[in-house]
Amino acid sequence: MKNPLNKRLPREFKKNAGKYIGIFIILVTTIVLGSSFMATMDSAVLTIEQNDVECKIEDGQFEVMEPVSQAIKEQFADKGVILTENYYSTVNDFDGDARVLVFNERTELNLPSLFEGSLPDAKDEIALERIFARNREIQVGDAITLNNLQFTVVGIMAVPDYSSLFKSNQDLLMNTEDFGISLVTKEGFARFDENTLTYRYSYAFEDEDISKSEEKELIGEMQKALLLEGSMIQSFLPAVNNQSITFLREDMGKDGPVMQVFIYILIVIIAFVFAILTNNTIESEATIIGTLRASGYKKKEIIAHYLSPTIVIAIVSSVIGNGLGYTVMLKPFENLYYSTYSIAPIDIRFNFEAFVTSTILPVVLMILINWFMIYRKLSLSPLKFLRKDLNKKRQKRAVKLPDFSFLTRFRIRVLLQNKINYLILFVGVFISSFLLMFGLGLQPLIDHYVEEIDDSLTYEYQYMLKAPVEVSNAEKLQVYSLKTWYELGKKDISVSFMGITEDSQFFEEIKLPEDEKAVTVSKPFADKMNVSEGDEIVFKDEYYDKEYTLYVEDVCDYKGSLTVFMERENLNAMLGYDSKAYSAYLSNEKLAIDDEYLAKIITRSDMVGAAGQMMKSFEGVLTIVSVFSVVIYMILMYILTKTVVEKNALAISFMKVFGYNSKEIGKLYLNATGIVVIASLVICIPAEVLCFKYILVYIGSMVEGYIPFYLPAWVYVAIIAIGIVSYFAINALHLRKVKRIPMSEALKNRE
Amino acid sequence: MQLRMNNVHKFYGEGDNRVEVLRGINCEVNDGEICVLLGPSGSGKSTLLNIIGGIESADEGCIDIGEDCTSDMSENDLTLYRRDHLGFVFQFYNLIPNLTVKENIEVCAYLSKEPLEINELLKTLGLYEHKDKLPSQLSGGQQQRCAIGRALVKNPAILLCDEPTGALDYRTSKEILALIELINQKYHNTIIIVTHNNAISGMAHRVLKMHDGQIVSNSMNHAVISAKDLDW
Repeated sequence: MKNPLNKRLPREFKKNAGKYIGIFIILVTTIVLGSSFMATMDSAVLTIEQNDVECKIEDGQFEVMEPVSQAIKEQFADKGVILTENYYSTVNDFDGDARVLVFNERTELNLPSLFEGSLPDAKDEIALERIFARNREIQVGDAITLNNLQFTVVGIMAVPDYSSLFKSNQDLLMNTEDFGISLVTKEGFARFDENTLTYRYSYAFEDEDISKSEEKELIGEMQKALLLEGSMIQSFLPAVNNQSITFLREDMGKDGPVMQVFIYILIVIIAFVFAILTNNTIESEATIIGTLRASGYKKKEIIAHYLSPTIVIAIVSSVIGNGLGYTVMLKPFENLYYSTYSIAPIDIRFNFEAFVTSTILPVVLMILINWFMIYRKLSLSPLKFLRKDLNKKRQKRAVKLPDFSFLTRFRIRVLLQNKINYLILFVGVFISSFLLMFGLGLQPLIDHYVEEIDDSLTYEYQYMLKAPVEVSNAEKLQVYSLKTWYELGKKDISVSFMGITEDSQFFEEIKLPEDEKAVTVSKPFADKMNVSEGDEIVFKDEYYDKEYTLYVEDVCDYKGSLTVFMERENLNAMLGYDSKAYSAYLSNEKLAIDDEYLAKIITRSDMVGAAGQMMKSFEGVLTIVSVFSVVIYMILMYILTKTVVEKNALAISFMKVFGYNSKEIGKLYLNATGIVVIASLVICIPAEVLCFKYILVYIGSMVEGYIPFYLPAWVYVAIIAIGIVSYFAINALHLRKVKRIPMSEALKNRE
Repeated sequence: MQLRMNNVHKFYGEGDNRVEVLRGINCEVNDGEICVLLGPSGSGKSTLLNIIGGIESADEGCIDIGEDCTSDMSENDLTLYRRDHLGFVFQFYNLIPNLTVKENIEVCAYLSKEPLEINELLKTLGLYEHKDKLPSQLSGGQQQRCAIGRALVKNPAILLCDEPTGALDYRTSKEILALIELINQKYHNTIIIVTHNNAISGMAHRVLKMHDGQIVSNSMNHAVISAKDLDW
């Protein structure tokens, strides 16, 4: 004979449908989120790893003023370094203001992955990078013009050395809107003017298992060889320091554990909510349990009975959650990667590890927590259940309260009676409002960052020179890039040194130190490196293997980037240049500098525009995050406060008999929830701000820039307002429930 | 405040299962009387008490309280009626478990414009030294004292007691009845006690006997004895 108690299960689900549906929604959403995210991430990681091997990703690159000699190539080959030309032509005015790098055909390293069409085969054919093509609405078959040359787009592709589209390695944010990569044939590349070319070389080590120290040694030897030959190195960038390569790989690696922790926190909350519900059921059915135990039912049979709703909900949620996670919800996550990163087509595959992380562990965790809670509760004797004496402590004493008004004391008693519910609600409010803060706050944070850069930039153009050239209406300056150790990110980061003069019209506010060992640093630099006036910093010149120890004399309000300011003469003296030497011009006007002398133009829009573009790929996710947070928040509040009302149904019924109306009862029982919600919202904000700052530092440790923390007051107001509105919505639902509690309850129920 | 029951009928169930539990109740209880409502289980005495208390409604007839008739009252009016005029004492005390003795009494004091002085009442009830205890820390008799205090704090015109000694032993029952008697003497409330214990009728001014939904006897007790002299 089947256990007749099992017949109660469907009735239990029907009776408490609201609560079970609420838990089911959170659980399914969590598992969908977990499984689709983990599956996409793991598949993407595998795809990238596979693609890196198949497409032979470079181990580094350098750019020189003139092509290197055959002798250098042979020298490198002898050292086990594969060196390949990776020349490109820069088109600065594609479709108005977009920058497109046109690369020559690749045969050895950084090979392209095709999404659509084919690779170029004729001199007027071109393959475009996928995100740029999509953002510019260019399709296979379209004709495009680059530097007055006509091309037909024959393919849409991705290249491994630009999986993250950073316009420059110093940029803080990717630019997926107006920065593109393209590939043409050798014949096609020959059509470009030589003056627009950049001589980039990519290298890879033959020994795939080369150690870090060996790699460092080899890089040093390569740099020396280039300098000895007289090559003017413009940049030397090992892959580990190349954001376009590392950003995605570091990002992907680090997202997983964060998501895992997030899932586990949610699961633990859901498990405790479930445990509270079960606990309430056990308390209300104490005499039934006592009777069953007295009739001979074993403790484990009763545990199994009360654990069964948890098991059913957990299993059904995991099946549906994974079903949705691997089908419907996969696309948004795939699109998130596709819209953010330029990666090869992701080959989605079932990953058992991801399944364990996103499903098996959460379900087991949930069942275990519930089993433990039920087991503890059912450890009392049958007699105690029959007597409804479920308190483990022999004599429960009343907590002494100060002489507050009756209403205040009543509400405090409700809070104390339901402290576990409210504790979980507090954690739920913290997580939800943090997600909400993130969802609402990221856009204004980036906007503010962009505005600050825009405000602090006093010039429109920065012209980087290959060789000195005299022009009028511009200010000369020495620009040089040095590295410094960034402890938090455990890596060297580039710092831009600007040698300017005391009478600079563009940096009037900056107080330049007279001491040649002193520098003025930009605020982002000081914040990121956590340095202040008087601190010493060691800067390294990797090309010449030199170190400079300088101290901070002043922190200036320049927000542009990680910049260090010195007197031009002092900087030149430090670098061993002529005191009047310069390598760049600043101007508010477009200058007519011959391409022969020009290395690069950095415009205000280059520095400011990228941030705005970056947000586009996040818009959808931020909306999902915001909605998800409100859903969790409302469901948790609904379930937890519903149990408060149900637990006190009998008392509420008495109150009605005594002459309280539903509104007054609501004020007594539900306002306690309001107090917890509002207090939690307010108390949690400083902790959430701390977490937000920590996340920014974490993001900052992955990139070379620095985003200062900023949240406008309206975000705080919105978080509290959304919380309060949600509370009132749930409150209204519960008031209906209070109204429906009959007075006859007081007469029927007996102790 | 005079209480008058006019042809009160009450039915439960529908169709073939329809049962008439009150079959035309007519009677009056005078201001300040202790009225004991006697009868076996199922005779309809608790139903009548609930209708007097505005917890249930009569299907026919009405209850007149002074100038007002309960059948004309809206749900809100009934709430105010219970708030302003009635106090309830139940067999199983029905105290709110997470409130102290004093706070349980304050639950009803809060509803009254002129509640009795709580500490004074606690002393009258013999609960002053237990005022900060939770109900679970009290004996049955103390819990019922607290329930009576809660009902009484509003100084209601009518105190409705449903089997107030039903869950108590002989000695404690007599203490509670003595307390009810003391309250009647001190505050002059009309008190209706539903019980199946015939002995309690000795302390009543009026005794109503019910059987099968009808009042079979309505008599004045001309030889009222003190609660402490009751015996059963």
